[in-house]
Amino acid sequence: MNNLMTKSTQNVMMKALVIVALLIGALFAGFPVLWMLSSSLKSNTEIFAYPPRLISESFSFDAYRAVLTNPEQLRFFFNSYLVSILVTIFTLIVGILGGYSFSRYKFKFKSHLNVIIIGVQAVPPITLMIPYFGLIVALKLYNTYWALILTYMVFTLPYAIIMMTGYFNTLPRDLDEAVLIDGGTSFVALWRVLVPISLPGIVSVGVYTFMLAWNEFLFALTLTKTNDMRTVPVGIQLLMGQHSYEWNQMMAMSVLGSLPVLILFLVFQRYFIAGMSAGSVKG
Amino acid sequence: MANITISTEAKTRNWHKTGKQLVPFAYLSPTILLLTVLSLIPIAIVFYYSLMDNVIITRDTPAFVGISNYVDLITDSVFHQALGHTLYLTIISVIAHLILGLSFAMLLNTELISPGMRALFRVVYILPWVFTASIIAILWRLMLNPNGIINFMLISVGLASEQIEWLSSRQLALPAVTFINIWSGYPFYMVSLLAGLQGIPKDLYDAGTIDGANRRQLFQYITLPQLKPIIISLAMLDFIWTMHQFTLIWMTTGGGPIRATEVLSTFTYKLAFSSYKFSMASANAFIILALSIIVALFYVRNQRATDE
Amino acid sequence: MNKGVISLFLAIVMLAFIATGCGAPATPEPPAAEPAVKEAAEEPATEEAAEPAAEEPAEEPAAEPAAEEPATEEAAEPMGEPVTLEFAQWWGVELPEGSLRDMMDEFEAQNPGITVELLSAPYAATRQQTVAGAATGTMADVVGLDGAWVNDFVKQGALANLSNLMSDAGYDDSELAAQIQLDGSTYMIPVANFVYPVFVNLDLLEQAGIASPPSTRAEFAAAAEQLTDAENNVYGWVLPLSVEQPNGIQNDVMSWVWASGGSMLADGQPNLVGNEDVSSAMEFIKGMYDAGVIAPGAFAMAEPDKVEEFVNGRVGMMVDSLAHINLIRERNPDLNFAITALPAVEGYTGPRGLPYASWGIGVAENSEHQAEAWKLIEFLMSQETNSKLSSLAHAFPGNVNATPDYVETDESFAAAFDVFQNGYLANEFVGLPVAEELMRQYDEQFQLYLDDGQTLDEALANAQAAWMESFQ
Repeated sequence: MNNLMTKSTQNVMMKALVIVALLIGALFAGFPVLWMLSSSLKSNTEIFAYPPRLISESFSFDAYRAVLTNPEQLRFFFNSYLVSILVTIFTLIVGILGGYSFSRYKFKFKSHLNVIIIGVQAVPPITLMIPYFGLIVALKLYNTYWALILTYMVFTLPYAIIMMTGYFNTLPRDLDEAVLIDGGTSFVALWRVLVPISLPGIVSVGVYTFMLAWNEFLFALTLTKTNDMRTVPVGIQLLMGQHSYEWNQMMAMSVLGSLPVLILFLVFQRYFIAGMSAGSVKG
Repeated sequence: MANITISTEAKTRNWHKTGKQLVPFAYLSPTILLLTVLSLIPIAIVFYYSLMDNVIITRDTPAFVGISNYVDLITDSVFHQALGHTLYLTIISVIAHLILGLSFAMLLNTELISPGMRALFRVVYILPWVFTASIIAILWRLMLNPNGIINFMLISVGLASEQIEWLSSRQLALPAVTFINIWSGYPFYMVSLLAGLQGIPKDLYDAGTIDGANRRQLFQYITLPQLKPIIISLAMLDFIWTMHQFTLIWMTTGGGPIRATEVLSTFTYKLAFSSYKFSMASANAFIILALSIIVALFYVRNQRATDE
Repeated sequence: MNKGVISLFLAIVMLAFIATGCGAPATPEPPAAEPAVKEAAEEPATEEAAEPAAEEPAEEPAAEPAAEEPATEEAAEPMGEPVTLEFAQWWGVELPEGSLRDMMDEFEAQNPGITVELLSAPYAATRQQTVAGAATGTMADVVGLDGAWVNDFVKQGALANLSNLMSDAGYDDSELAAQIQLDGSTYMIPVANFVYPVFVNLDLLEQAGIASPPSTRAEFAAAAEQLTDAENNVYGWVLPLSVEQPNGIQNDVMSWVWASGGSMLADGQPNLVGNEDVSSAMEFIKGMYDAGVIAPGAFAMAEPDKVEEFVNGRVGMMVDSLAHINLIRERNPDLNFAITALPAVEGYTGPRGLPYASWGIGVAENSEHQAEAWKLIEFLMSQETNSKLSSLAHAFPGNVNATPDYVETDESFAAAFDVFQNGYLANEFVGLPVAEELMRQYDEQFQLYLDDGQTLDEALANAQAAWMESFQ
């Protein structure tokens, strides 16, 4: 009896402790974002006012209105969606094929290829800028969606392959062997059997890919020339003039930009979280 | 696309085996094609630049100078500073990401609160991940401004007596930038580790409890070893990514004040786009590559050990 | 030599490099179910090597025009054949929306057969793209330029010689207020100039009991001290020294030297050591820094932050671009401010150098339509268009005969125009090699001096040494 009492008191204590810790963590994670939200609802002058206030006298949705009524800005959102979705689809297809190969086959140069795939992402992207830019111009891809899509695939593929290899490694080989015995090809085994049951892993790689493509800035700026090809991060930068910034609109645009990503995460979080584990356990 | 130059008879005989050998490469061919054209070629050009002088900046034909760009760099005191700052930033970030990521993941994994609450907290906790680096830089610049909200709060609660120059003092700039990087990078760890935690079989804990292990022991003998493979993968990727961190540092401090936050990436950027020393910048890139490759090798070796 | 072959070769070397790099720790794969067939396994390796060979030569045509685009092409351009000019600049972002486009429409109406495509991006983005374009020969036909970029682009062979274009077109350059020349040839023409006078917050000045804006350094330092009220978070002066955007060195630091008729150069070479004009200005700033009258955060502050400090009434005085007048009014309509010339040393009576920034214009060497490009420049520099442009931008015109309308209608600008007419434009960074890097190098040494990390002599000697390297 006495023992039980202590246990439940202990549990209540524990629960309170966890909630307090969670709240502190949420403050750490969320406060800057709250500040961003607050800034997006202020006038540019109020943003720099001292003492700072969370909700200012100049509270208004003007910044959002300015972003949402500007067709050029809306085009940035459209471009970001288009590019990010296509990058995600292509990365998944190519990454699944690559991961399958690494997971199910033994072949010459396998570990060399593995190191190259990890190694290519080890070169700092800024230094690749000039030759990469020249290459994209030479391939006649400058100022096209393809320039961005292929570039982001280069960034995301190594991670996608590492993760998908790990994920396929956790699935028993009997599954695809059964297909082979029935006379199916390995291709059929992959798409009909492995892919459906690896959905969580695929979703997790997809979300990562989407986030990267959605947020990339440096290449998005350099590889495009006209505003009708540009994405949200570049659009945010376009609000920084030579002498002055439109602070509130930048904040509003990034709040707007983060919403689809958050919704995506909410929708896929179940899959995402389950998927990450299997992939990275053997990563 | 792959033409096999063997006689017809041999072909029929070997068809099965050869075909089998080609299959993995066929699956990998889109990757190989893409990475060769858009990754290895630019890397090769950068490597070529690093051995030449005067690339791009003049119309003269560049001259081959061998490793002299590398020698110049390695003996440059700014490079040493930048390397030191990079290691500081990278190592502290990786460790802090790990600690924060793991603690938050364990908090979010707790059964003590309802699933709805957990989902809500999860969304709040990943917030730093969903913003592009330039906006994170601008946001933190506003908050860490001498007249910003952080100083205001510190002064209000009496933790500071005067305005602290977070980003503009030589002593605080690097820790401040590191802090921003930690803030913006932990969610990736957290989500991955959260996933890892959910992948640990429950019966391990049950068995541990029956054996009389306490919470700390369960963590030490079950949780940590189970998460080790994830932690190693994450640490490697994070190490490489943080070494490349450019936008965040460039847009908060530009490497200043007085090079207090100069890291290899800002140093490279200035060499390339401000001094137009593309050869030196390329050599610098290859030094970063070499450092990253060392990390990648540890990883591959570790992978092999786990595989066997 | 063939770039394609070299890169292909290096791609293979790279592969080998990475492969051997990891070769040592890699243990051989355990034998696979089927023994490996050599030819088959090696097949993809040759395939990937062969692939780029097909892609690479395509790079040639793009790289070629940068090197040699004969001027004859433009003469061959038959009349009436439609030409599209790309015009990359950051001005469209700064000007009232659509106004640059209106001017282009007018140009197109006057020049049938030429259409202008505006590529408007902010300053920093324009710079980044122009650098990349110059390196790869993909620059827009007509480019907006900052004086600080010109030297480097000319060295790269990215800019066309405007002197030649002018003589081809039979243009009389007497109307041009300035031309940026290197080795006797013009590469950039300033279309609009923005001077940097001192902005003073009149309300703060009055509160501090100062009757009139300072006109000498001593007065300025005294005023800054009186204005400073650290308790209430008000400071006398604001100094942006961010190394990310080091133009504070040009606008807020070196400008003090030029305002007193000094120079940081001698015969076109750096002259920082033993230069009384420079060292006295630096000591002057250090004096204010030590007195604590400069707003905190100077070492990480950039130009946009500076303006926000002023707009919020936290600094009494700032050196700033005239282009900001409208912005300041818009952000804080109640702010009561005035404009005055940058103070000079006591007893200096000569003309005062006014720091300025320009919207310059140039033509890409790789442009196939250089003659048409020149027509666009001629149009922008014409008395009528230049008056309109400088009125809209609140700039001083690049055409000596152009008169912007604001001089008559706006008191503040009229005052500024006085300042302008009594001085001369001075920005010694224009046309210098790696000008931005020079500012940054100076910035670092100057910060270290302000922070008591070194003496003034050391700072100037170090800056001089760093600069000399770029001048060779």
